[in-house]
Amino acid sequence: MSWRFPKLIPRSAPVILLLLTLAAATGFAAVNHLVARFTANQQARGRKLYQLGLADANAARYDDAIAAFRAALTCDPTNSEYQLWLARALRDSNDPRRLDEAESYLIALWQRSPQDAAVNLALARVAAHRGSIEDATRYYHNAMYGVWNADPDSNRTNARIELIKFLLNQGAFKNAESELIALATSLPPDPASHFRAAQLFAQARDDAGALAQYEEALHLDPSNPAALAGAGQSAYHAGDYAAAQRYLQAAISANPQDASTLQLLASTDLVLRTNPFQSHISDAERNRRMAAAFAQAEKRLTECARQTGVDLNAATPSPMSPLSSLQSRWIATQPDLARLHSPAEADLPDNIMDIVFQIEQQTAAICGQPQGVDLALLLISQKVRTPANE
Amino acid sequence: MSNPDLSANSVVPSSRVTGPRFQTSRRLFSTLEGVFNEEAFFLILSVFIGIFSGLAVVCFRLAIDWMHLALLGPLPQTHSWRLFAVPSLAGLVVALLVLHVFPNIRGSGVNQTKAALYIFNGFIPFRTAIGKFICSAIAIGSGQSLGPEDPSLQIGAGIASALGRQLQISREKLRLMAPVGAAAGLAAAFNAPISAVLFVIEEVIGRWSAGILGSVVLSAVSSVVIVRWFLGSEPLFRIPVTTFKGPAELLAYAVLGIVGGLASVIFAKSIGYLRPRLKRLPRWTQYLQPALAGLLIGFIAFLGAPQVMGAGYDSMDQAMHGQYAWKFLAVLAVLKILATTLSFASGAPGGMFAPTLFVGAMLGGAVGDIEHFFFPHLTGSTGTYVLVGMGVLFAGFLRVPMTSVFMVLEVSGNYEIIVPVIVANTFSYLISRSLQTVPIFDMLTRQDGLILPSLEEEREEAILRVEDAMLPVPATILNSEDYVDANARRVQDSTDSTFLVRMHPSGWNTISRDQLLRLFREGKGEHTLGSVLPPQSLPGLYPDLPLDSALRYVNDYAIVPVVNRANSRKLEGVISRDSVFKRYGSAQTAVEG
Repeated sequence: MSWRFPKLIPRSAPVILLLLTLAAATGFAAVNHLVARFTANQQARGRKLYQLGLADANAARYDDAIAAFRAALTCDPTNSEYQLWLARALRDSNDPRRLDEAESYLIALWQRSPQDAAVNLALARVAAHRGSIEDATRYYHNAMYGVWNADPDSNRTNARIELIKFLLNQGAFKNAESELIALATSLPPDPASHFRAAQLFAQARDDAGALAQYEEALHLDPSNPAALAGAGQSAYHAGDYAAAQRYLQAAISANPQDASTLQLLASTDLVLRTNPFQSHISDAERNRRMAAAFAQAEKRLTECARQTGVDLNAATPSPMSPLSSLQSRWIATQPDLARLHSPAEADLPDNIMDIVFQIEQQTAAICGQPQGVDLALLLISQKVRTPANE
Repeated sequence: MSNPDLSANSVVPSSRVTGPRFQTSRRLFSTLEGVFNEEAFFLILSVFIGIFSGLAVVCFRLAIDWMHLALLGPLPQTHSWRLFAVPSLAGLVVALLVLHVFPNIRGSGVNQTKAALYIFNGFIPFRTAIGKFICSAIAIGSGQSLGPEDPSLQIGAGIASALGRQLQISREKLRLMAPVGAAAGLAAAFNAPISAVLFVIEEVIGRWSAGILGSVVLSAVSSVVIVRWFLGSEPLFRIPVTTFKGPAELLAYAVLGIVGGLASVIFAKSIGYLRPRLKRLPRWTQYLQPALAGLLIGFIAFLGAPQVMGAGYDSMDQAMHGQYAWKFLAVLAVLKILATTLSFASGAPGGMFAPTLFVGAMLGGAVGDIEHFFFPHLTGSTGTYVLVGMGVLFAGFLRVPMTSVFMVLEVSGNYEIIVPVIVANTFSYLISRSLQTVPIFDMLTRQDGLILPSLEEEREEAILRVEDAMLPVPATILNSEDYVDANARRVQDSTDSTFLVRMHPSGWNTISRDQLLRLFREGKGEHTLGSVLPPQSLPGLYPDLPLDSALRYVNDYAIVPVVNRANSRKLEGVISRDSVFKRYGSAQTAVEG
């Protein structure tokens, strides 16, 4: 049996071409209708699968979510939303082998709409998973300056905070600090935001920046105990012990059970009581503090020498030991203490305290972090001495 | 060549033309018809073939997707009863349709198209195209390990053939309709017009011809436009970043080529072994063969490898993005060879292109990962190896070296990997050729009892050239400017019976010893030889011409000069009837030996 077309077509080229054109147009319309119906059905099926995938992804069942999103994409292969969610699920599944696939979906989406903030954020997170500071920073910035469908200000701030946290985790403190400065200028008048920024400044070891943000938070919420404690800590680390004492005392008043704040306050008090350069103290008190510091330094030196087995009383002190050298300088400086009262000896306090600070710093380097008065003297030395002097 | 059926006189019966309006129309028609000789008409027809094939392939792809969703569901399932039931029951249905409604639709369709070109004057029953559409959609949609490309090729060829027959175009053109439609179908299925054109030229037609090339390109491009219109221009795969940094890495790709070549041989030999044996079984078993193949494939899927079902493009995409470990990739490659061999040998209609790409992709990924393990400094990503692996299997299994290179380039859109692809494909092709003499498509046609020209053999057959039969330059060459008596004296010592004459200012002629002596005896010794010779000159042959071209002269002339292409007065040698036939004789002896 063979099937043949009926021989209806006239054998004339223009007529044939006309009929072929009509047939092609009819076929085109028919296939168009078919494709439209099929596509609509597929899209409906894809939407159901997508909902399944979303539920799985929200429940952290990433393997199931990936399967559902993949199936949704087979129904609607060009759907950007499905691709984005599949990429997110692939990325969040904690399988390094899936990062490549996630990235390829996201790159395809990015090429289609490079201004899409959600896509850029997802790409930034992939780069962050890979530990690539350069790529992550670029995509986070794209996300910050990109187009958000809803709540753009909050999303931009969150993206910057995420970038800062990533940079801090990577140890890129300078990069983090510059992002923090940008963040600080765009924060809303909200104590929580300033408090969060202050914590990030503190992590970035920018104590002055942290203190400024805590103070902004306290300006909006003066009795916030966490902000008071944070401000005290930042002031303490920044060397502003008077401010630290003020904030820490307020923090303790608000929350007397805060042990770490109590400890920090004690240390702050000790620094303030020990510091001979403290303003608003009499000359006699300054001289007394210097003498006490000088004596404490000698004790610390002797103790450290004992710990490390250095004999400071040996007939021929080891020229290689810095402790011996410090002891020699300490002994040489000791007579100067008696001349502290003389107004003609203006440089003496600095000379005396210089040997004290050197002893505290050197012993801290050799014998470890001190406690009590020695710690206070070490902190004072760090505040007073610049690296160039050392 | 113009077709009388398309002549201007058959447009409208003159009895109907009564008024000035009709006369204007008639003049317009006549003008239009003057434009359409058969060549031009054939080219325009190629565009329509592309459009119709594209529309058919769009429907075919929708049908496969719909079947897959309806039968297997949208979500991939492991350990489900459907994996056994669906391919088995669909196999039964397909077997019934193939045996009772649509005979001649077994297999891929490439050979049937080739047979249409060489044996059946371009005739492919339209029923075959319909049957291929329905049965392939059921088979592939139900999970048989087959691809949609080869059926698309045959559907396109079937549409073109039906159209050509209906329009009663000349036999010569009708014969070419099938490859034109085949290119359109394949281009639409692959969304890759260059590869489709090359495949049809390389495997179906086997020769480059300006006339057919134009039609093939037009149909391929128009079908791709149609497919992209309806289904979008998204590529088959999301291509990952592919890199090729240094020539040293070519060694790694060469290893992939060797492994791919060996896998190609195993794949081809498996099909070559199983297919005829299953065909020889009693007829009643043919009802069950596709069902049993489906059952076994379902079993493979049930055990945890559902990726082997169907064409497998999604799995290739995932392999390209490093979703599978090398062990699983290697297992998938082996299982796909097994599954495709079962499906294809059982007679289920469907193509081998997609399975070939699948096996190549998995093998490429596995080899790439292993190489990375031992040589971590290699920069090629898994995706790069997967892409190159696809080309490797294409070159080794289908034995289409040019198509294999361009297919990878077209699919990836990345020309950076051309060197790795060429290197790997060359190794694969050479290994496959040395271990499997007969290419897969030729093997299948021979199993079906058809003798079609082996295009690979033709392509590589040594061509005899004029220089192969050329004799040395004769010692005595006469000059047309010399007198007859001087020339007669020159030939006295020669043993030759015929002499070449160098004519002035150009050209060659011959004269026999007897003719020359007769002229001398007739008292024409004082004449120049040129003045007494007949005016026509000998044809000049060149050493690089095919020896066939000498055949038309050697019967008319005792010797024919072979001259230099740069200087036609410079003689390179001569050929004679004896030297030509002697050369053919020795070549035949060498072939038979």
